[in-house]
Amino acid sequence: MRIPRYQTPELRNKNVRLAWVLGGMAIFFLVTSFPFWTGLFRIVGTQAMP
Amino acid sequence: MTTTTLNHDEAHHHDMPTGWRRWLFSTNHKDIGTLYLLFALTMLFLGGASAMLIRLELFQPGIQLLDPDLYNNLVTNHALIMIFGAVMPAAAGLANWMIPMMIGAPDMALPRMNNLSFWILPAAATMLILSFIVPFFPGGGTQINTGWTLYPPLSVQVGMSMDFLIFAIHLLGISSVLASINIIVTLLNMRAPGMTLMTMPMFCWTWLVTAFLLILVVPVLAGGVTMLLFDRHFGTSFFDAAGGGDPVLFQHLFWFFGHPEVYILLLPSIGVLSHVIPAFSRKPLFGYKSMVGAMLTVATIGMVVWAHHQYTIGMSLGAVTYFMIGTILISIPVGLMIFNFIATMWRGAMTFETPMLFAVAIVLMFTFGGLSGVMLAVVPADMQYHDSMFVVAHFHYVLMPGAVFGLFAGVFYWLPKWTGHMYDETLGKIFFWTNVIGFNITFFPQHFLGLAGMPRRIVDYNMMFTEFNVISSIGAIIFGLSHLLLLYIVIKTIRGGKKAESRAWEGAKGLEWELDSPPAFHTWTVAPQIK
Repeated sequence: MRIPRYQTPELRNKNVRLAWVLGGMAIFFLVTSFPFWTGLFRIVGTQAMP
Repeated sequence: MTTTTLNHDEAHHHDMPTGWRRWLFSTNHKDIGTLYLLFALTMLFLGGASAMLIRLELFQPGIQLLDPDLYNNLVTNHALIMIFGAVMPAAAGLANWMIPMMIGAPDMALPRMNNLSFWILPAAATMLILSFIVPFFPGGGTQINTGWTLYPPLSVQVGMSMDFLIFAIHLLGISSVLASINIIVTLLNMRAPGMTLMTMPMFCWTWLVTAFLLILVVPVLAGGVTMLLFDRHFGTSFFDAAGGGDPVLFQHLFWFFGHPEVYILLLPSIGVLSHVIPAFSRKPLFGYKSMVGAMLTVATIGMVVWAHHQYTIGMSLGAVTYFMIGTILISIPVGLMIFNFIATMWRGAMTFETPMLFAVAIVLMFTFGGLSGVMLAVVPADMQYHDSMFVVAHFHYVLMPGAVFGLFAGVFYWLPKWTGHMYDETLGKIFFWTNVIGFNITFFPQHFLGLAGMPRRIVDYNMMFTEFNVISSIGAIIFGLSHLLLLYIVIKTIRGGKKAESRAWEGAKGLEWELDSPPAFHTWTVAPQIK
């Protein structure tokens, strides 16, 4: 897979950095915008009770 | 916006890979754009075939070809294939092809990730198709009879095909998010010197907003279906009232994704129109800044009105009032976009080549679909229309003209640039008229069916609905078959035809038209200077 060398190292770093920020945003929405984890913890807690 | 220096290097064919490696390992935005478009075309025919079966079944009352569960599985698959397999990849194909050429960038910002974004799709499509096929095998479980909304508790009860579907949705979501990240990074970091955000071509703006919407809402769908998977296999009760959960929670999660998804499908086509209408009106786009503002407003309000799909679940009066007012408010920025398109055409030297015909059809028919949307936004009215064929007519009037016709307009507009050949204009116009007439014969009668009380997602219907269903099915056959002509036109144009000039259309403006038709394998290796 050859990629033409049209990006300077600075530009490449800038691109990768922004991609990580956006990816982090997507993961943030995955884990916090709905009660997945709270529900899971509740269920785990309920099952742990005698 | 004028270009002063066009030092692009157009002679770089020398490192173009050949054979299957060119496509499998491609990091070239044009090749990946082509792959996206071919994939979308394939899925368009697959989704279309399921639609044909649905309409054949509904040709007359009684059960003709399909058992009820298979019918509902076809409804589910038709929607998922068309939305995730055809429209979104087609829009991504246009984005891949055009965005770097439009902003003077040599390629997408993250070419390897671009390759990954595409090649996840065939795997996802395989899973999606398997979800349809698996129930036909012994032990394959029941058909997915939930519709694309996958509401529990039914989606928890269906067989293993639902697991294939959930996995397909995960893969499709990953592909969409990766592609969106790439598009945002490209648009923010790779523009040619001198090109500001507010001088960026409108197609790029629409994709910038679309990509952000995708990143915001696709993870929520992924979370929702993951919770569904947990309910199915790991003993959780997120959506099971008996275990303390709530099935309505899934509806909220689904529509938090599902409603913005409508704008995700629409906005790239609005971007295409913002180029096609000025080009064939020989005028600049009217109200560039207001278009950008309207788009951002649509995206913002569109994120917070999801529950208008769920009026019948029994929300509080305050909640339904909020969702109703919010939904109706969206018609203002959308109306502004339509106004800008009409104002662009106003007193322009208009000609009606195929892309422009589609553009005019979109302005008329999408407005019609929007108006029935305002009807559906009104709570007491929606209580009557809910889950009827009126809703089917409404969203097809929004999504076919609003999304698919826009993509057709884009394909006809840019096909000369991609292939280096002009398409056959006569055939293009025949395709347009058969397509648009077929579409209207199919879906216009469905408004009356819905108003008369015919429910959707039901394999059989009362005798009183027969006439309009017969008309609708005949229209569907015309509409479906017309797409074979599209396939023929595309193949014919790729194989040859009148040589296209760099600026294939007299009124076309933008950096992409400064390049040869077809453009070199690598373009804008030296960025153009814009002032």
